[in-house]
Amino acid sequence: MDFTLVQKPQRYAGNEWNVIKKPHHEKIRICIAYPDLYEVGMSNLGIRIIYALLNQFSDVVCERVFAPGADFAKLLASKHKKLTSLETRTPLDAFDVVGFNFNYELNYVRFLQILSLGGIPLRAQERKHHIVIGGGVSNPEPLAEFVDIFYLGEFEEGAQHFVDALRCYRDKESRLKFLSEIDGFYVPRFYSVRFQNNRYSFEKVYQYAQLPIRRVFVKDLNQSFYPVRWLVPHTAIVHDRAQIEIARGCPNRCTFCQARSLYHPYRQKKVSSIMKLIKSIYERSGYENLSFLALSGSDYSSLGELIDEALEYCQERRIGISLPSLRITDFVGTLYKKLIPLKKTSLTIAVEAADEPLRCTLNKQIDIRALFEAAKILYSLKIKHIKIYFMFGFHQENEENLINIGAFLKKVHAESKLRVHASINAFIPKPFSLWEDYPMHDELLLRKKRSIILKHISHLSPVKISISDPRKSILEAVISRGDRKLCSVIYRAFSQGVHFYEHAGHHWWKIWENSMHEENIDYRFYLAAETDNFPWSFINVDPRPKT
Amino acid sequence: MEIVKYPINVKLYKSGEMIYFSQLDLVHILERALRRSGLPLYYTQGFNPRTKISFSNGLKLGVEGVVGVTFYFTQAIGFSHLRDALKPQLPQGLNILPDTTQNK
Repeated sequence: MDFTLVQKPQRYAGNEWNVIKKPHHEKIRICIAYPDLYEVGMSNLGIRIIYALLNQFSDVVCERVFAPGADFAKLLASKHKKLTSLETRTPLDAFDVVGFNFNYELNYVRFLQILSLGGIPLRAQERKHHIVIGGGVSNPEPLAEFVDIFYLGEFEEGAQHFVDALRCYRDKESRLKFLSEIDGFYVPRFYSVRFQNNRYSFEKVYQYAQLPIRRVFVKDLNQSFYPVRWLVPHTAIVHDRAQIEIARGCPNRCTFCQARSLYHPYRQKKVSSIMKLIKSIYERSGYENLSFLALSGSDYSSLGELIDEALEYCQERRIGISLPSLRITDFVGTLYKKLIPLKKTSLTIAVEAADEPLRCTLNKQIDIRALFEAAKILYSLKIKHIKIYFMFGFHQENEENLINIGAFLKKVHAESKLRVHASINAFIPKPFSLWEDYPMHDELLLRKKRSIILKHISHLSPVKISISDPRKSILEAVISRGDRKLCSVIYRAFSQGVHFYEHAGHHWWKIWENSMHEENIDYRFYLAAETDNFPWSFINVDPRPKT
Repeated sequence: MEIVKYPINVKLYKSGEMIYFSQLDLVHILERALRRSGLPLYYTQGFNPRTKISFSNGLKLGVEGVVGVTFYFTQAIGFSHLRDALKPQLPQGLNILPDTTQNK
């Protein structure tokens, strides 16, 4: 294949530093896939953990594939070539297992594109040998017809079972049956779902399968597997640095947040474990930047100590460090002196709402006065721009709350003199969030609120705005909250090439709208949520969203 | 205090999958290889210190061939020392060519 015919041929060249290439003979062959471009997928920590983890087994070969750009997909089709893995250029249909990370609903069609280009039948029942496994998903139901088995939880705990099943059994049915009896594994085909009197009921078809399904979590992050032979891409990717996870989960209770339940409980790594990782990863990768990964950096209990130790190692070697989002009080408090040598050039704060009472409703406690007090400190830190996150589309918000977003941004700019970038996103009642049972606004109301916000943002101050498109948010909500009926909608949209159009564009929306219409689905059904029974009610998370 | 920098010229041969990586990509590939090698690297001074690497010629994307590169260290490094330390750190498709200047 001549890659010079396509844009960014680096995406398909593979050959990264620390790549794992093994002979295939007599091995269990697994290809893990990410339904987005190389530069996005290679920035995902989950993919890296699973890749290295599965390759730890001497009788397993694990390779990678990413979604092709439109030009490369067309080139493959015109030459009647199949999509192959990066490592050994093996067509996808020559693998025993293809595993997908499903963390973004609007990429589900690209999952079908990868299967299709790889020569693998799209529906689970059409596949005799291949096993398609999916993870990273909160509500698997809209994918139930396409995926043979889901893993719900953290795969560090499931990998051994999965490999055991592939070792012990040769045929697909026995493999799936074995796994369905183990916590975290979900085989949609082994359950029947009925919808009657506005309620979903779940029944086992295979009597030994688990019901309810329990999500599985790593108990001790200090003991769990972490990829040390860090795969270093030879070209720039979205998060172009070695990622060191310092904590998993979040101790806060923001009402709109899904991550809190999906990564429960909150666990921290010890400073000594983190320092060991930094050293081993740097020696093996030579990466000039590293970032600490956590949902909320300020909650890490030894952050000061960690920064001191990491700086001592990194400054000598000219390694840049970036931190996860911090609370503003850390900038006015004792921590800020430690931040000076980090040379941070940007700062991100999730404010969510411009007014205190609305923030309280969201369980989002932040000290806004501290933000303005911190203005001078931010300047001395040489921070050049500040990124602020807002949300809209809450039932509790009034017009004033929306208008105040503009005033807030203006004040931040006036007092800090920094460039301000605001990212304003529509509220989506995601499964397993505290507000999973809140109805979502319809398109009209979202548009109205969106235009109120935009009208009151001064165009004179240098504030850059990105605000979500109502249709894109609605589709994301529908798919994330969907049931098995949505499988045929996703299939239709894929068949009509929706993945070749830009998200939220006119054609893109038309295809989705027609696909729903042709399947007799009124998508508004999935947005009206006031119930305690959902398509995902067969999955237990601990704690339940309401506790 | 000004740190003295010691340049050394090397010719690299780009082939295989490496032909798809641009000159800008090559800067990062070489910087990371040098960092792994443990050689005494010279960093540019200033707010954002970087390894200093310069090229005497470029190659078009997709083309196999020779690229001339200059590395800078904080002490004098001989060619064979550099080659021995760097060679195991270079990805497949990037090779150090023998030092022809010594034979002239």
